[in-house]
Amino acid sequence: MDFGNFLAALTPLNLAVAMFGVVAGTLIGSIPGLTATMAVAVLVPISFSMAPETALILLGAIYTGAIYGGAYAAILLNTPGTPSAIATTFDGYPLAKRGKGDLAVAIACFSSVFGGLVGAFALLFLAPPLASVALAFGPVEYFWLSIFGLSLIASLSQGNLMMGLAGGALGMIMSTVGVAEISADIRLTFGSQTMISGFEVVGAMIGLYCIPVLIDMCSTGEKHLKITGEVAKMPILSAARITFNSKFNLMRSSVIGTLVGILPGAGGSVAGLVAYTEAKRTAKPHQRFGEGEPDGIIATESANNATVGGGFIPTLVLGIPGTPPDAVILGALMVQGVRTGPELFQSNGSIVYTFIYGLLIATVLMLPIGLIIGRYAYKSIVTIPKAVLVPTVGFMTIIGTYAIRNSISDVVVMLCLGVFGWLISKYGFSASPIVLGLILGPIAEQGFVQAWTIGAAVNNLPGMFFGRPLSQAIIAFTLISLILPWYLSRKKQIKADA
Amino acid sequence: MIDSGLKAASVNPADSGSRLGSILVASLLIMIGVITLYDAASYTDVDSKVFPQTSAIALILFSTLAIGKQIIQPTVVSGIELGSWWRRLVLVSSMLLACALMPYTGLLIACVLTFVLGLIASMHDRWSNRKAIVYFLSGLSIIVCFYVLFKFVLHVPLP
Repeated sequence: MDFGNFLAALTPLNLAVAMFGVVAGTLIGSIPGLTATMAVAVLVPISFSMAPETALILLGAIYTGAIYGGAYAAILLNTPGTPSAIATTFDGYPLAKRGKGDLAVAIACFSSVFGGLVGAFALLFLAPPLASVALAFGPVEYFWLSIFGLSLIASLSQGNLMMGLAGGALGMIMSTVGVAEISADIRLTFGSQTMISGFEVVGAMIGLYCIPVLIDMCSTGEKHLKITGEVAKMPILSAARITFNSKFNLMRSSVIGTLVGILPGAGGSVAGLVAYTEAKRTAKPHQRFGEGEPDGIIATESANNATVGGGFIPTLVLGIPGTPPDAVILGALMVQGVRTGPELFQSNGSIVYTFIYGLLIATVLMLPIGLIIGRYAYKSIVTIPKAVLVPTVGFMTIIGTYAIRNSISDVVVMLCLGVFGWLISKYGFSASPIVLGLILGPIAEQGFVQAWTIGAAVNNLPGMFFGRPLSQAIIAFTLISLILPWYLSRKKQIKADA
Repeated sequence: MIDSGLKAASVNPADSGSRLGSILVASLLIMIGVITLYDAASYTDVDSKVFPQTSAIALILFSTLAIGKQIIQPTVVSGIELGSWWRRLVLVSSMLLACALMPYTGLLIACVLTFVLGLIASMHDRWSNRKAIVYFLSGLSIIVCFYVLFKFVLHVPLP
């Protein structure tokens, strides 16, 4: 690591590539159905003709831009543009409904930049020691981590816990549809060839979140989002003040995002959910999570962007991709002839450090670019007539879902889930626990079955599930997030009664 | 958000329809749980059974408790509020129609048709010739732009 690498990252070509990457990533990520993985995958061929460090900067910039871009649709349409932005919908959309969509978008931008910088600095200074964290996580830790993520249902379901838990269980059942990963049994397809590959998570997410909004939007003449301020002005200063006043939440969520990013396979969605759970668990009494609380957006967006830098740690140090887009980037690196592994920082130090500086620069560039694009995204959504907005978004859900697996069946499933999600939302059930179960179900199942097999082989199942220090820490956090909301509401009730 | 359909208040007779709907949804979830248990019984490997069976039991248990809670200590749910049923129906049907037409007409034509139907379903203002032309052309241009982006830039094999 020296100053020369920093200067190398600042060449006009690298800066132009970083800027292009952030713009392209943000735009692709903002379209429901196009994930960060797809954004990186479709633009990978451009990188083949570039020098390795420039190629890495391009891919890193696309990745970080796409993760941030996912927030637009989450905030303005209640549809996570990428799975990483699921928890952004919890408070982003309610805040937009209250007429503060521009504020929400700007908060998301500041938080994403901060989280992205924390992840990139962790990559710069702590890559080798942090890579060992990835190796300390076994199947049982993954199992408990997913249970921790599922515990979010409890804190989200204060209106009716049983309905929330039922939704979570339904999501987990849906995650088992298709060919079982471990034993290859075909489950819950009932002879349908279409369902053999299971529910496509992004398609299901689009259906469950976006279609209910469209159905409600078209049925009445009310405006989609309220406008409180002047549409042409972005409340940048207020957003910066709100974001940086929440220093502890911002830092904690960024660290969570970095650490979850390091864990292979976990990704931005898990990071966002875990950070959101923690933010909600430690909320002050006046904070109303789920009703447009800015801290919810700060937690999610800083955490999901921190996974970018975090995910590069095992990718570069161990050759194990931390997140799905990292797997694509790893492939691109192999094409470039760069061998990842513990020696990479010594043997190809100039490439790696130039890339890390480039990632830092791309993340900083995301601030002006993100605010400009965010302003236009917000302006478009609030000024476009509803009669045009509804069929346009409807079209985007169709093409976005189709593009994931080139499957019309996925679009039909998405629509059916959308109608189902709309119906149940009217009767107290919500889409969020179902999506949580759908995303965390496979991680929980794989972790559970593998841990069970290992535990049975060594004849120590309790030790396997409850004996490891990392597992114990995650179990403790899970119990706290399960019990605390109940305890706090009970305390509040007792106080009110008195 | 998750509690969007919930209102913490006491129940009056007018809410009984919504409560019944809530109970019916929970019953549907119980049925899904039972079907899952039935299907899981046919899996050859125990590793395949454990997770769906556990989830199904959890689903049945929590849905039953949700029904119990709705009967003993009811929570008022919003139910299906006022709003035009035909508009909802046209919107969803038009999207399903696009799926049916796509293999025969291609995505572009199917989606233009869906857009027109969606436009009719979502239009609450008075129609004018100018509005009809501007809205249709703006929708058409968005659809064509996205079609070009997906097909020729992102190389998605669209029908």
